[in-house]
Amino acid sequence: MSARWRLEAADIRDEWLGHALSTLPADRPAAEAAISSLYELARHPAPRFTWVASPRAAMDLVPPSAGETAAFAGMNTLADLPLVQRLAALTFNLRRALDRRVGHEWDTPGWRTDLRQLDAMVSRPLQDAVHRIRSAMRSALDMRQRLTWYGQHDVSWIAHYDAWRRVGRRVYLPPEERQLTLWAAVARSCGWWWAGEEVCVISERPAVQRIEDLRPHNAGGPAVGFSDGFAVHAWHGTLVPEWVITDPTPERIAAEPNVEVRRCAIENLGWERYIELAELRMVAAAADPGNPGFDLLLYDLPEQTWGGMARVLLAVNGSAERDGSRRRYGLGVPVFLDDPVAAAAWTYGLSAADYSTLARRT
Amino acid sequence: MTVNLAILSQRTGLAVLDHLEKQVAIPVIDGLQAQGDLLIVPLRMIATAVSIDNWATWREVPADGFEVLRGAAGGNPHTLVADASTCHWTTQARDTFELAIGIFRNTKPAYMLHPEHGATGFSPGVYVVRRQRELGHSRGGRRLVAD
Repeated sequence: MSARWRLEAADIRDEWLGHALSTLPADRPAAEAAISSLYELARHPAPRFTWVASPRAAMDLVPPSAGETAAFAGMNTLADLPLVQRLAALTFNLRRALDRRVGHEWDTPGWRTDLRQLDAMVSRPLQDAVHRIRSAMRSALDMRQRLTWYGQHDVSWIAHYDAWRRVGRRVYLPPEERQLTLWAAVARSCGWWWAGEEVCVISERPAVQRIEDLRPHNAGGPAVGFSDGFAVHAWHGTLVPEWVITDPTPERIAAEPNVEVRRCAIENLGWERYIELAELRMVAAAADPGNPGFDLLLYDLPEQTWGGMARVLLAVNGSAERDGSRRRYGLGVPVFLDDPVAAAAWTYGLSAADYSTLARRT
Repeated sequence: MTVNLAILSQRTGLAVLDHLEKQVAIPVIDGLQAQGDLLIVPLRMIATAVSIDNWATWREVPADGFEVLRGAAGGNPHTLVADASTCHWTTQARDTFELAIGIFRNTKPAYMLHPEHGATGFSPGVYVVRRQRELGHSRGGRRLVAD
């Protein structure tokens, strides 16, 4: 049983994740060449290129496309379609053709059934990551009626076919290869882009991109930030206003209407610090049976903090962080629990007596 | 054979974080154990809450590992590792608390490996793998904890 293909798959995933998260200046000649070739494949003359510092800057240059619905009315051939739709059809057809080459993952010959996990290793995590980054950015932009190609944030489907070619030994036809190579070249060289009939607007890549566990997250600044100041903040994947990252205080937390944002702010401030500053009342403390040397602490929460009556259980991670410290984390528990051990047990659906037998925590 | 993190890491191809001790033997025990946001409970302890379907199919855990659960957003998987033909997994079970993600039964020691949390071992038996929950934000709701 060889685990070699997994290492190979992990390399492919990391390679594409690297492109998705790249903060290098765009490779303008490479991006322009690849996009021009894609225009050509869509039977359209190469455009002029306008580079912008961020997708927000592009919004001023990209008009919302007006006649999108009208295009379907008298459509007979691909040539009747506006360019954006021809490009979309190009990708759609390519992906449909490649899907046939890949086949269903369960069709993989018996001796390589382990390959069934290939998508779970490569395209799914990449898709999770880029979708989250994209939706974080989109929520800060007016994307209506603006058909967008995502450049570096388009890696998930490209990596999918790349992995099935390299690890799964799938063979694609030369024209398919050629088009896939073009999309891959775009993903490797620039940020988001908008295909106009005559002008193609392309954004630079961000100057900052931070993810943790494939979710946008940065405790020290924007999770995604561009050189012109366009930025979005995120806490473990949740989009938050800037103050949650830069200046979380009990006053701001109390005034925040969104419970999810409140929780992120508390986590950033730190549960211990929040409990101290907000002067929460401790209900009880007890030694954690599953985590020798560490305590479980139970506190009352102000009624609006958790969106209802709740208490918070403060527990300590079982394994140390890289720096040797142990992370303390808060878990919401029902208000009827008075005993910290019973509260910890409740989070796992056990009785306090059973939870007390916890033999080992890693 | 004494099993340590280095061996499990090599078998599964999963890299573990550098600060974890790789040469220490991993204890194999039969009690309740926790790994990150997962709790591994001997079935007998919660037999009143969890029942395995009569028609459940059991899937062999391959020697190079089986991903029980990917950590939040696919980052770090909890991976079950055992010698060939000694450990089987099913998800066809009911849990009153709806926290069980699956059940494994093993006839030789089995190990649960996580890149951040390290590894822990289970002596032969039947174990329920449960997730941790917390009170949700909407009144009375619940949500599962992901680390």
